Amino acid sequence: MGYTFQFGVIEANFDHFLYGLALGLALAFAAILVGTFIGLLCAFATMAKAPLPSRLVGIYVSAIRNTPLLVIILFVYFALPQAGIRLGKLESFVFSLAIYAGAYLTEVFRAGLAGVPRGVIDAGRAIGLTGFQLALYVISPIMWRNCLPALGTTFISLFKDTSLAAVIAIPELTYQARKLNTETFRVAEAWATASVLYLATCLLIAAGLRQLERRFPKF
Amino acid sequence: MTLLAIRGLTKNFGPVEILKGVDLEVNKGEVVSIIGASGSGKTTLLRCVNLLEDFNGGEIILDGVAIGYTGEGHARRRLGERELARQRAMTGMVFQSFNLFPHLTALGNVMLGLTKVRHMAKREAQQLAMSWLARVGLDDRAAHLPGQLSGGQQQRVAIARALAMDPKLVLLDEITSALDPELVGEVLNTIKLLAKEGTTMLIVTHEMRFARDVAHRTIFMDGGLIAEQGPSAGLFRNPKNARLKEFLKRANM
Amino acid sequence: MEHFLQELWIARWALAQGLLLTVEISAAAILCGSLIGLLAGIGLTYGKWLLRLPIRALVDCIRGIPVLVLILASFYLLTFAGINLTAVQSGLFALSIFCGAHMGEIIRGALQSIPATQIDAGRAIGLTFPRILVYVLLPQAMRQIMPVWVNTGAELVKASTLLSVIGTGELLLRTQEIVGRNFMTLEFYALCGFLYFLINSVIERLGKFASRRFALQ
Repeated sequence: MGYTFQFGVIEANFDHFLYGLALGLALAFAAILVGTFIGLLCAFATMAKAPLPSRLVGIYVSAIRNTPLLVIILFVYFALPQAGIRLGKLESFVFSLAIYAGAYLTEVFRAGLAGVPRGVIDAGRAIGLTGFQLALYVISPIMWRNCLPALGTTFISLFKDTSLAAVIAIPELTYQARKLNTETFRVAEAWATASVLYLATCLLIAAGLRQLERRFPKF
Repeated sequence: MTLLAIRGLTKNFGPVEILKGVDLEVNKGEVVSIIGASGSGKTTLLRCVNLLEDFNGGEIILDGVAIGYTGEGHARRRLGERELARQRAMTGMVFQSFNLFPHLTALGNVMLGLTKVRHMAKREAQQLAMSWLARVGLDDRAAHLPGQLSGGQQQRVAIARALAMDPKLVLLDEITSALDPELVGEVLNTIKLLAKEGTTMLIVTHEMRFARDVAHRTIFMDGGLIAEQGPSAGLFRNPKNARLKEFLKRANM
Repeated sequence: MEHFLQELWIARWALAQGLLLTVEISAAAILCGSLIGLLAGIGLTYGKWLLRLPIRALVDCIRGIPVLVLILASFYLLTFAGINLTAVQSGLFALSIFCGAHMGEIIRGALQSIPATQIDAGRAIGLTFPRILVYVLLPQAMRQIMPVWVNTGAELVKASTLLSVIGTGELLLRTQEIVGRNFMTLEFYALCGFLYFLINSVIERLGKFASRRFALQ
């Protein structure tokens, strides 16, 4: 049997693929934004003197990291409505991905915070900065630079995880590929295009990250 | 006039007693050096004075005000963070490992305290910061990041940073110990200049010759207490305390 | 609550089957994947550029594609190519190459971090390279990657949930079938999540134990 690769099919449907790609990037971006907020909150919470915040954060991180993302997505979209929390498809996906991201980002930020030299914090206190001022003007800038590589790889991971949105019929890239596949049976074209687009995007983001790291050299 | 008075200062780290009752007075314009073996409590003493550490007993009185705590006896409480920060700004500290803010330029390092703690306007702060950098001989390096400066240069920026805050008292914690030998001189010269200008300083150091020549008074600490103190020249020439004699002998003084 | 326990009892075999298949597939995938990864890692570290380049390209491609795409692409492409695999088999295939690419990178990193003087030492006592690899280099590399290897196992268990999309009867699919019958979405999805949490917690515990037991220092 002969299978001729028909580029025409790709061309005709390329705008669908691009739409899916853009949607995936948007979802990843929204998730990392919310996830960063959660992660920062939790990371700073673990620095508190009281033991309770750290324990709660520990439970959150451990629970989420050991649970498959797909289960979280399905739970939020299908199970929560039974408890009265009904979210739209996009909202529920972003919510799921955000709390998933938050768990990983908490660890990223904790490592970044730990990488702020103790002596530099002492110097800040010695010139009379209050705790809040220290956090804002000294600890945060250093922490962000420390976290930059891990933040970048987390974003790439999240972008790949947006493929799971296809399972709840959000029309991102994987969904588009599957749709083309089942509608036209052009298996190779559909999956090759999706793969190339995912790969290219990941490589571009990684290259961008390297540039960013070069622009802000590590101290 | 007495600028700093320390009475019966005690400090424990858990079960270990580091300071066992230190009494010390420093007058305005005086340069006091503190020498002693590692573990004698010198650095801890300094860190208690600028409230980086809390202390268990005794009091520290800076320019007539008891700092760090309020209340007496049972009612004694550590002050809140805001108040502590305010009191910390009254002393300046220069650290052994410089501790410059790595993400700020030399100018930025000196300006941070001026804008955020002394609430100066940006232009004013910049002028003052530049003048201090000029005084330590680094105005041409104002735009450099700490990573681009040598150890000696970083330490001089740290000195400028501490002094720009116009502190009543400057604490120097072994500020040349982490420097390569050829860079030590430039830092010590800066301190000599400051001493001549009447800056009140408390200097913990291993540089015995420097202590003898620059400090008005020298204190020898041993096991969490002040074992001997007196005018520098006399103390180094005729030490009375047995352990001080040994200490000086080992240091070839 | 009673209703849930009743339904749970009715569903016990389905859940047990799903759980078993999840564990089986994950275990098989990590074994195959580790083997592939071992070969890839060795090739990437010690191979001539003619070998290294294609492996590098392959590994980077696989790692740049989401697992779900790997699974779906394998499923549809294999079926279309006339290779009729069951959902389990094609799922295993996809997970194995995913794991293989992942492990290849990890093993490469570990092997590269072993000082070259170790190879010299092996040569000095007369060993040929294959023997040096087996008796000197790999044991050190394995010890180093132990915690990461265990972590990859946990990742595979999580990735196995994606096989439900191609109809593999693992735990998640079984849960969905059960929920399709009794509509107790909240309870059974929660249970499902909890079961995965348990499996991964056990793996995490095993990992800590293994790290301590096999640590070099």
